[in-house]
Order: sequence, then structure tokens, then C-alpha cells
Amino acid sequence: MLNLISFTSSALGSLGQVALLGALAFTLAGLALAFVGGIRADARVVEAARRATWAVFALVTLGILVLMVALLNDDFTVRYVAEHSMRSSPTWIKITSLWGALEGSILLWAWLLSGFTFILSLTLRRDALRPWALGTMFVSLLFFVGVCATIASPFTPVSTLLADGRGPNPALQNHWMMAVHPVLLYLGFVGLSVPFAYAVAALVTGRLSDHWVVVTRRWTLVAWTFLTAAIVAGGWWSYETLGWGGYWAWDPVENASFIPWLLTTAFLHSIQIQEKRGLMRSWNVWLIVLAYSSTVLGTFLNRSGIVQSVHAFAGGPVGPVFLGFLAFLLIVGIGLAAWRAPFLRDEAEVPAPVSREGAFLAGNWLFLVFAFMVLLGTLFPTFVEAAQGRRDASVGPAFYNAFAIPLGLGLLLLMGVGPLLPWRRANGQSLMRALTPLLASGLGAALIAFVFGVRAPAVLITVALAAYNLVGLGLLTARAARQAGGLGRTLQAQPRRYGAYTAHVGLVVMALGLAFSGAYRQDAQATLNLRAAAPTTLLHERLELTGLRQVNRGFGDSAIASVSIDGKPFEARLNTYTQAPGALFPAPAVRYGLLGDTYLVVTSIDPKGQWASVRLIESPLVSWIWWGTLIICLGAGLTLVTPARPQTRAAPTGLAPATD
Amino acid sequence: MSSPTPTPLPRARQRRRNPLPVILGVVALVGLTGFIAFGNLNKSLEYFVTPTEYSQQRAELEGRPIRIGGLVRAVDYNPQTLDLKFVVSDGGASFPVQYSGAVSDLFKENQGVVVRGEFQGNTFHAQELIVKHSEEYNVPKTQTELKDMLQQTQ
Repeated sequence: MLNLISFTSSALGSLGQVALLGALAFTLAGLALAFVGGIRADARVVEAARRATWAVFALVTLGILVLMVALLNDDFTVRYVAEHSMRSSPTWIKITSLWGALEGSILLWAWLLSGFTFILSLTLRRDALRPWALGTMFVSLLFFVGVCATIASPFTPVSTLLADGRGPNPALQNHWMMAVHPVLLYLGFVGLSVPFAYAVAALVTGRLSDHWVVVTRRWTLVAWTFLTAAIVAGGWWSYETLGWGGYWAWDPVENASFIPWLLTTAFLHSIQIQEKRGLMRSWNVWLIVLAYSSTVLGTFLNRSGIVQSVHAFAGGPVGPVFLGFLAFLLIVGIGLAAWRAPFLRDEAEVPAPVSREGAFLAGNWLFLVFAFMVLLGTLFPTFVEAAQGRRDASVGPAFYNAFAIPLGLGLLLLMGVGPLLPWRRANGQSLMRALTPLLASGLGAALIAFVFGVRAPAVLITVALAAYNLVGLGLLTARAARQAGGLGRTLQAQPRRYGAYTAHVGLVVMALGLAFSGAYRQDAQATLNLRAAAPTTLLHERLELTGLRQVNRGFGDSAIASVSIDGKPFEARLNTYTQAPGALFPAPAVRYGLLGDTYLVVTSIDPKGQWASVRLIESPLVSWIWWGTLIICLGAGLTLVTPARPQTRAAPTGLAPATD
Repeated sequence: MSSPTPTPLPRARQRRRNPLPVILGVVALVGLTGFIAFGNLNKSLEYFVTPTEYSQQRAELEGRPIRIGGLVRAVDYNPQTLDLKFVVSDGGASFPVQYSGAVSDLFKENQGVVVRGEFQGNTFHAQELIVKHSEEYNVPKTQTELKDMLQQTQ
């Protein structure tokens, strides 16, 4: 039996639980009102549903505040606090413990979802889509708030009171990025619920004209930007704390965030086609249904234990429930799309293969294949277990790289050629004229790279495609600036276009970082002795151990090795945490450089303080991945800017005021 | 919210859908998937076995990359050369393991371990060690129990 409310042991816990149950009640009421209002087309009922979102948001906010207060006050009568926090943690760790474990992270998810629903309720137009978009948001809310208030409630009381909590997972205390990464990721996942709600509303009402994709563009872009930042932040966390010198391991958890990213990227591109040309309607519906479902699928995979992963997440009863919600989303999405198929088929003029639409369509197929292959690799061990009865088969990175590299290069190729092609149809001559400078620059760049000693074919192709992309975007910008009479003018008139160009430039920078760091990473290990006669040479660098010391950090110890590499000081640590006495957490010393990082990890330190074993990793252009991401996010931000009008009077935006 | 300039492009004409591109796309998707799945997946599948399971399935697993899990016995480690030799055992079968690289002082006798690498002859050449830590350690009774214990603490 679920003990939903217990007033016996915990005052704060009861308050939080009551808040969540209240939010659940308002969610159910809002859901019913939205559907009744939609079916009867009664504006007053819909208005009531709209206001129910405010109550849900207020109550879930109260719930998350209560948990925050309980964490900061070390209230160990609340089970979540007792199991995932402790008195001696610094304040920032106590705050981030809020999403450091399953129950809290689902509460954060529910809170963000209620916040997005609240914002949506303020921006929704009073049209036929409104009740159904609200209703769909309520369905998502019903799931997350329901899970939060019942099977995964953070407010369940403890039976035996502890003097001190068990403390947060050490792996998450080891770096501040773990405070940021989950929040970014959930913002991305939750943000996708809004375009999904619009798609469902468009399907239900049969209004599959272009209004819904125009409205969802901003929502999708914001969600996509958060998702991009979250994935890269996770990679950076892995780079900074796991001590292996890499940032991506095709781990099921990473894949779970990457699949929605691929599908959302495809959606982001094909809604432009629907907006401009009225094509790809069915693509857009399918893509957003799949993208939103894949966020739930990812959470299911990582919380159910069905897929083994190095990220050991606790299981519990949540897995099957997520699977049920995933099945529900897919069945409803596919059912609605099948029912409305005649509406989706309308303006289906097939784009010419060599045209801008054709490039977008080909890109969509590549994204789709990419997402499908990543999913296949993630689930394959499960299939093997089901088919052969053998447990524990896993697919190595080699499998993923075999298709990820060609598909990635294909996407880079299309990305460069797409903006150059005219809409509808390109004639051969003008196409060749446009492509000549690009191909020439690509070949030139590849030759230069070859002269400098780059021999890996994939890296050479990446360099060529990078140059071809940059030259193409540069030429387009120069031409537009000439026509508009200045770069500033064309920027003001077309922020969307230049935002997209900027994001593409960022992606090119990132692709170079991925290609070089993947192909030319060097790695060596040695044991360094204090007072050694001569420095040790690793990867053509001279390493000397200059000191070893132990530091007590209150909630654990650090052993710090000071090493000089070619005269530059490095301090790499091995951290231990009091909750996990048997585990070591390395904190590598990284010297970031524009052309390459020097990365030093201490793997073991002599208990007598005479020697330390170190691993030295040299990776070229790693930091280009982080800079590229920053450029991508800036570009995405630029696409949200409202273009300047040629007239002097500012026009009202399309937002309906949310007043009565 | 919407873009202010009306698009000058002509709307797409209404006409019957030509199913060819979709069919081509699906065929390409299935073909590529099949090609990669059967050509590459089987090669890159990495099984996780215990020493006893390996001795039973030796014929099909020798020389392939696998993960082997068990308990550490007979550790011989030289911190200066970073050469590590030990025996991985599950109580039934046991195999010698060679590894080059640093191990921490947490690497002890009877510690659970998962090693990634492949067999060459009778010796397991390890590329990577995944040391298991478990506060309450009992010697597992069955193969499955051992694997579960190793997986859980991963």
C-alpha cells in the first residue's frame, strides 16, 4: 500500500506531500476542463482550464521549495533528505542534491513542466488549438506530477531517524558541472513538450496548416539550445572528472540524450520547409511525436536497469511506469497521425532532388537514420538477451563510430550545400557556378592539412567540408550585405538567417574539434618518483614529480600530486569521500590550449609518499568542442531576435495579451 | 511570434503523392541498417563472462574482445614499470591476466574486478580494468550472482 500522507513523523514532508497531491488534483481538474472545453468549444471552460495551470504551477513550486528548505535545514525526517544529503556538505551541494537522485529529479522535471505550462498559458492565442494544447500539457503534467506525488515521492517519511544523512553520490559532488547539467537537460526535454502539445492540438482539430509550426519554432529552438548545451556540458563533465581524457563514450545515458537531439534538429529544419513552402507536414508531426517520446524513452532506459550503463542510476518502480507513458505517447501520436493522414497528405508536391527542399529532405533522412542506429546500438544488448538468452553483451564505440562518422560527414556536406541552392529547382549551370569556390576551398584546405601531416581520411574530409561550409556561408553573407547596402542592415533584417549561419559555423568548429581529438589523441602512463635523478619523458614532454601532499576537505580527503610538465606546474588530485571509503575519484589537471589540451591524471599514489603513477593525455583541438557549442548557442539566440522592419513604426508582436 | 515578411514563394501545388521517395528512403534505411547490423554488430558485440563460462565457450570467444569478471587472486604489481599480473577466478576456473598501467592501492586480493580485453592462448591481455568496490563483500555462490554483484557495483 502506498502511504501517501503520513502526519506522524515529518511536518515538512507532509506539507510537501499535500502540495503535490493538490497539484495532482488541479491537474486532473484542468485536464477534464480542457477536454470538455475543447469538445464543446466553450471558451469559459477553456479559460478555467487555463487558470488551473496557474494553481498547478504554484503548488508544484511550493513542493519544490519545501524540499529545498528540508535539504538546507538537514531535516532528516524526510526520506529523500536522509538518503541523499548530509549535514557536513557545503550549501551548494545541498542545493544540487535536490536533483541528485531519482525522486528529486522527477520533481524538478515536474516543476519545469508546470512552469512551461504556465508560460504557455500566457502566450496561447484564443483559437481552436488552445484547449487541446493545454489538454496535452495536462496529460504530461498528470504523468510527472502523478509519479512525483505517488510512487516516487521525495516526501515519504523515514521509519528510523538518522542523526546524519547518508550524503549525496560522490561522483556528483566532484564537479560543479553536475549542478548545471541535469537542469539544462530537463529544460531541453521539458521544452519539447510544448511543440508536442501544439502538434497534438493541430492533429485533433485538423488545423494542420502552417500556424502550429510557426508558433512552435521559438519553443523548439529554446528547448534545442538547452539540449545542445546539456549534452556538451555532460561531455565536459566526463572530461573533467572521470580521468579518461575523453568526453563521449556512446554510453546508454549519453545516447538517451543524443537521440532526442537528433530528432529535434531534424524537426527544427523541416518546420522551416513547412513554413516557407507548405511541404513536409507529415514529417513534422512524426518528428515531434518521436522526439518527445524519445525523451521519455531515454529516462525509461536509464531508470529501469534494462540497459547496463556505467552511470549506475537507481532503479525502483519508476521504469515500468515510464514505459507505460512512452507506449501511451506513441500510441496516441501514431493513432492521431494515422487518423489525420488525409490532412497531412494535402500539398504533397515532392521536392526536386537538387533544390533547397531536397537538401533539407535528405538531411532529415540522415538525422532519422542516425537516431535509429543509435537507438539500435543502445537496445541491441537487450535484443541479444531476449533472443539468445545471453546476458551482458555490450556494443562498443567501434559500432557507433562506423556509422556516426559517415553520417556526420554527410550532414556537413548537406549543411554547406543547402543554403546555396535555390528553392524549388536548381539548374545545373548555376549550381556549378555556386559550388566551384566551395569545392576549390575544400580541396585547398584538405591539401594544406595533408602537407601538415594529417593522414586520417575522415579528418581530411572534415577539414575539407569545414572550409567548404565556411566559404559558402561567407559568400552568401557577402552577397546579401552587398544587396542590402551594408552588413548591419542585412543582419537587422534577417536575424533568423544569420543566427542559423552562426550556429552552423559553431557546428563546423565543433566538428573540427571532434575529428582531431578523436583521431590524434595520445595517451601514456608512467610512475614518477620524488627526487628522481632525471625527469621522465612521456609524449616528448619532461615530467617531474615535485611534491605529494594530503589535504582533509571535511567530507573526504584529497591526495595531491604536484607535477611539472616542461616546466609548467600541474596539480592533479585523487579525492575520496567519507560516504564511499572504498572509491577514488580522480580530479585531473587540465591545461586548456587553443590547439590542444594537456591532461594529467594521477591514477595511484604511494601510501609512503615516494611515488605517484600518472597518465598523460594530449588531445588536439578539444577546446574547439566547447567553443563551438558556445557559438551554436549564440547563433540559436540570434534566430530568436525579432527582425527590424523597414517601416519606422514598430509592429505589435503576435502575442495575444493574457488579460481578460 | 511569426516572421513579419510574407513569403514570396509560390505555395506547393496540390497533386497526388508520388510514393517513390518514401519507398526509396525506407529501402535505403532498411538496407543500411541490415548491412551495419549484420556486418558490424556481431563483430563489435562484447560479451561479459565469468572464468567458468569462458572455459565452456572457449571456441567461440577466443581472440575476441570480451569482458571477464571475477575475483582477484595472486596480485603481482610493480609500480615502477606499471606491470600488473594477477589471476581472475570465480572459485571454479581461473585465468592469468596481464595488464600494463597503474592500479590504485585499492586493488587487493579477493577484490571483485571486471577486465576488458581478449585472450591470447591461456592468458588474458587486458586493455582496461574496472575495479569493483563493495563494502559488504560475500563470496558469491552462483555465476549469475557473481555477475549481478559485479554489475551492481559498476
